[in-house]
Formats: sequence, C-alpha cells, structure tokens
Amino acid sequence: MATHSLIPAGEYKTSYAADTTIFPTVTSRNAAILALILVACAPLVFDRYILSLMIQIGYLSIAALGLNILVGFTGQISIGHAAFFGFGAFSSAWLNNVHGIPVFFAIPLAGLMTTAAGLIFGLPAARLKGLYLAIATLAAQYILQDFFARASWFSGGVAGTVAYPFSIFGYAFDTDARYFYVVLSYMVLCFVLATNLMRSRDGRALVAVRDHYLSAEMMGINLTKYRTLSFGISAFFAGIGGALYAHYLQFVSVEGFTILFSIQFLGMIIIGGLGSIMGTILGTIFMVLLPEAMEWLTSSLAGGAIDRALSLKNNISYLREMAIGAVIVLFLMFEPDGLAHRWKQIKAYWKLYPFAH
Amino acid sequence: MTRLRITGMTAALALAGALAGGAALAQDIAVGHLADQSGPTSDVGVPYGQGVADALAYINSKGGIAGKKLAVETVDYGYQVPRAVAQYKKWSEGTKVAAIQGWGTADTEAMIGFVTKDQIPYLSASYSAALTDPGGKSGRTKAAPYNFFYGPSYSDAVRALLIWAAEDWKAKGGTGKPKFVHMGANHPYPNSPKEAGEAMAKELGFDIIPPVQFAMTPGDYTSQCLTIKDAGANYAYLANTAGSNISVLKACKTAGVNVQFMGNVWGMDENAAKAAGDAANGVVFPMRTGIAWNGEAPGKATLAAISKLSSGGADVYRPVHYLTGVCSAYYMAEAMDWAAKNGGVTGPNVQQGMYQKKDWVPAGMEGVCLPSSWSAEDHRGLMSVNIYRMNVGGATEAPVADLVKNGTIKLEKVKTVELERKADRLGW
Repeated sequence: MATHSLIPAGEYKTSYAADTTIFPTVTSRNAAILALILVACAPLVFDRYILSLMIQIGYLSIAALGLNILVGFTGQISIGHAAFFGFGAFSSAWLNNVHGIPVFFAIPLAGLMTTAAGLIFGLPAARLKGLYLAIATLAAQYILQDFFARASWFSGGVAGTVAYPFSIFGYAFDTDARYFYVVLSYMVLCFVLATNLMRSRDGRALVAVRDHYLSAEMMGINLTKYRTLSFGISAFFAGIGGALYAHYLQFVSVEGFTILFSIQFLGMIIIGGLGSIMGTILGTIFMVLLPEAMEWLTSSLAGGAIDRALSLKNNISYLREMAIGAVIVLFLMFEPDGLAHRWKQIKAYWKLYPFAH
Repeated sequence: MTRLRITGMTAALALAGALAGGAALAQDIAVGHLADQSGPTSDVGVPYGQGVADALAYINSKGGIAGKKLAVETVDYGYQVPRAVAQYKKWSEGTKVAAIQGWGTADTEAMIGFVTKDQIPYLSASYSAALTDPGGKSGRTKAAPYNFFYGPSYSDAVRALLIWAAEDWKAKGGTGKPKFVHMGANHPYPNSPKEAGEAMAKELGFDIIPPVQFAMTPGDYTSQCLTIKDAGANYAYLANTAGSNISVLKACKTAGVNVQFMGNVWGMDENAAKAAGDAANGVVFPMRTGIAWNGEAPGKATLAAISKLSSGGADVYRPVHYLTGVCSAYYMAEAMDWAAKNGGVTGPNVQQGMYQKKDWVPAGMEGVCLPSSWSAEDHRGLMSVNIYRMNVGGATEAPVADLVKNGTIKLEKVKTVELERKADRLGW
C-alpha cells in the first residue's frame, strides 16, 4: 500500500536508499520523464476542451493528494476538504486583490494560509477518532462555508470575488494553453514534494500513526503532533489546488465549495487507491472524465433506438447521474484497492508478456 | 417544484441535449444561451429558457439574421456561478459568440468585467440595477456597457410596488405608518433591490422592519412568517423566485399572517398560483409583458407559432416568463439585424443596434413586449411598471390552462407606475 514499489522476487536491495528510491529502475525513471514531456506537448495537439479537462485534473489532483496524505497515509478522515480548497481560492484572490501581492506569490502564500486554517481545524483530530472526527471535520466545512458567505472583506460575500490571471513580468497566462503549464509545474512540484515527504522520517511517522497508533506512540511518535500536522499538510495541498482553480476560472464564489465537492474528493482517492500517490492522479482522472464520458454516452443515446424503445426522453440526463453513482458502487465492489492496484497489475502483466502463466 | 412544469422541462432538456456539443458552423452566428434548468431557480428558469430557445429557433426557421442562421448553444448551469464562468470562457475563446442570453444575478454580475473586456453583448434574465450603468458614472457600480436586460430593474420594480403600496395603505384607510419588510435569501439576486427598496420605503413614509431571510429552495418557513407577524409587517416584498415564495405564502397562510405580499418579477406566475392555491390570492407583482398567454395582441399569432415549436404543434399554456424569454431573444435578434446591415454581427455592432431606436418593440412582437429604450448612458430599458394582482378563486387541481380559462386563476392589472428616469437612481 505504501509508496514502495512491489518488485517481484529476484531483486535484492543492499541499502536503505535503494529501498526508498522513487524510481526502482532507470527505465521507469526515463518513462516518467518521457510521459512528462509528452504531457507538456498537449497544448500543441489538443483543443480547448481537452486542455480544460487536463487543467481540471491538475488542480483537483493536487487537492486530492492532500486528502490522500490525510486519509490514505495517516488514517484520519475529513469531509471538509472542499472548504479548504475554497479557502485557498479565496485567500489567493484576497492577497492579490486587496494586498496587491502578485499572483505568482499569492498562490504559495494562499497554500500557507490554508495550512494555518487546516492546523486549527485539525486540532480536534488530536482527541477524536473515526466517526467523531468525521463529524468534527464536517463542522469545518460548515464554518468555513458560512465564513465565505459572510466575510465580505475577505471573499466578497455571497457575490464572490474576481481573481486576476497568473502573470510573470506582464505576460498573462490567461488562456488554457498557457495556464496549462502553470498547473503542470505545480503538479510536478507538489507530487515530487509529497513523494519525498512520504520517504522522510515524518512521512513514515504518519504511516505508523495509521497502521497502529498505539505502537507508534510507544516508538516515540507524538500522536497529537502528527495528526494535527497531517491536517496542516492536507490543507496546504488543498489551498494550492484551490488557488490554481481561482486564477484559472478568474472568479471565486462560495457556492462551489459544498460538502458534495468534499465527498467528491473522497471519491477520487478511494477510487484511485488510498495511500497511493499514483492512485491520486488516476482517481482524479477517473472522476473528471466519468461525467464527460457519461455526457457523451447519454447525448449519443438521445433520440436513438434505445431511447425510443424505452421512451427515456428527458430521463436521459438523470441516467447520467445514476450511472455515475452505479460506476462508483461497482468500483468499490470489484476494485476495492483502487485504480493504483489495477495499474500495478497491468504493469506486471506486460512485464511478463508473453510468458504470463 | 419542477414536477409541475414537466412538459416545459421535457422539451427544454431534449433541446439542450440536442444542442449540447453541436459545434457552430463558421458562417453561422454563434449565440450562447445560459439557462437554469436544474438549479434553485429552475422553476422560472425552465419556461424562460424555453421561450428564448423557441424564439431563436423560430427566427432561424424564418431565415435567421440577414440570411445567416443562429447557432445557439443552450447550456444548463444549475444556477452555479463557477459553471457559468467556465461556460463563458468556452464561448469567449476561439470562435467568439456574437451575444449571450444569460440568466442569474450572481453569474451575470460576476461576468460584467469579462463581457466588457471581450465586448460580448449579454442579455441577462437578471434585472439587477448594477447592470444598468453602462458608463459607471453613478460611481455605485462597475461600468457595464455590454449588459442588457428586458424589463424593469429589480430596484425600480420594488419602487413601483412601494408607490402602489403607499396608495393602497391610504385607500384601505390604514392609520399610522405602514411597515415594510424585505424577504429573501442571502444571495446577490434577492439582495439586489434591498437597499433601494428600503430607501424608497423610508422616503414614502414606511417603517422598515429588519429583512427576513429564507432560502432559494422550498422549505418550511413558518418561523419567518411568525417573525413578520410579531413585527406587525403590513407589506412584505418576496425577493426570491416562485418556488420558495410558494412555501412562504403557504406557511404564512397557515400561520394566519395578515400581510400584503408583493412578489419580485420572478416571484409569481400562473404555475406558482396553481401550486400555492388560495395562499397566492391577492399577491401583487410586476408583469413585464403587455399580455399574459391568454391575452390578445398583434404579436400573439407569432407568439403562438413560436410556442408550437416545442409543444409538438399543440396549443399549450405558457406562463409569463416564457413570453419574457421570447422578448429578450427578439430584442437581441433585432439588434443583430441592425448590426448585420451596419458592418457585421460583432459585439460592438450589436450593442449599437440596441441603441438605435427609442421606445421600441421588436418587429413581430407588437403588444407582447413593452416599448423599451436603451442608450449609451442608461441601460434601464423599461421604466413603466405594470402591477398585477394574482386572483385565485377556488381549488387549483386542474391544469393551469383550464384554471386560467375558467377564471380560477386571474391576472388583474391594478396600476401602471411610470417611474422617473432619475440620474441619481442609475446603478442601484
């Protein structure tokens, strides 16, 4: 489950460095670099629609990564992640609009502001577990949401606030093709950061808290510190993701950050694979593309033979919502370890091809 | 609440499905149409959106604008600002749309800056006064040179209702100062006319009761009713759309609150009257069109033909919002017509097209749409407010068409208030 890749028998490590390496082989490292280069070429090939989906995947996966650190790695629970996402979005807009801090700096600063908020709302985690903690984070969701709606000085109140495009030296990243690179850079940065965090002492401490908190405490891990810290780290990534969202859409309003959105984040990491960095990306891709695929499916169904035979008509658009729910249920039943697990199996299959038995 | 409007919705959704993803051909005129078919204001958003879509389809069937077809993309954004903004960005990049038919206050106000920068005329179904100041001279709001709407601004509608209320108070022999209360959700749309309404009420000698909040969605609003009852309100302005207003009207009826309710333009219609039954009896509201569906006017034949496009040829009853949607589409189309003859259908030309005539009604809609004028200094199109009273006399189980036909639901005109075009009221 952890970051360590499962190399089949036959490889023996002789150092801790080899054990915690990100890329077990040169080929896997080269493949990752190649994939990154290919993704960076996307704006040259794809149209606006696909780019906008990729940008969405980018900022959402950064926020989902934060939640995965909290839920998948530390074993806590949060159903208020969207509120932190929103806090980051409003903070970045606020820093830029009110304090005149360039967007370039406002985004990381918004991440830090959200970290502070996360640490405060993470305090109950020091004492609460399980369902009780879930309800405590629900409070964070509602408190922050109400705060956004009322704090006009910060968020513009119910009317929302404008967020100006990202720019460096007067060059504005205000089109999808340009902003794509901003999100991509942040995504690489955040995922490398998270991967490395999980290889450090602190990262291992988080995993220990998840696996057996009593043993962890006996080994000298400060539970209160790491549980709260986990909320802080989680909020940091949510804040960065939110800030990127704000400057992409160029407008932030309170209604976007509901509890449904929080649940969606949970869906992403559960489908992708709890405790898997790679799974976070896969889960986000899945959750972003699923409604689009369903939309495509239902619109191609509309007016067709099946539509007429079953007289679906206007129910087709509801079919979409239902199908999304059904797919999630099926996923949890047949792929409980998430997409990350499936990804590993596919890799293993091709590694042995054609000699799989 | 939308269950009542299933017929309208069927057609709207089918249309949305058919249009979604349909890329505009290069020689067509691209038009964006943002509608709320699933959000909290979908009760009125569905008939309005249907009106816009039908009218544009009708214009296409008659040859379009100067020989070019309108490529309309209707998108349901569920009354969520982020979705509206994301959709707007799709429309403003690449092949830019020539104009947009919009919807809500929150999203329209959020995008004032965008449409101004991109020079895309934006005809909203939001009548927020913040959209009426094209030059930003009033200093109250941002300049909104590309925002238009057909109808009296929310603020002006409240002012007119209050003028009527002050007279009504005297006519009824009320003593002392009448009490006025603003009721609505904490949302840009219901908030829009709050200050203007309370200022006007003070001017007219009303006592102001602190505003009472209720959500945009139907719910149990008994406590809100008891609040206004305890405060002794005489005139209450309902700033939400019909769906949630019905809940308030019913709850207040049950709680025995004796208040004269005044609805926003989106706060009352035939469907709402049917749903609220006798609780809606006596509610006054501004009506934006010259006639309701059963009225007679020179433009009625065209209107009937437009309606048949989505009713499958049947003669269905359309609520007042449908007619307004048709008007909004027709004003845009006529401005586009002018633009096509004067340098091409571009944003700035369509904007100029809106300014060409004074007190004008788009061709074909005589008697349906009320004469409006927009100028480069003032986007308050309609300054005369027709106040109607909703009369409900009896059980409302039958379909709306029958209820209107047999007079159970009757829209009775009580007054036309001609508001002065005061400069100090621009933009709020």
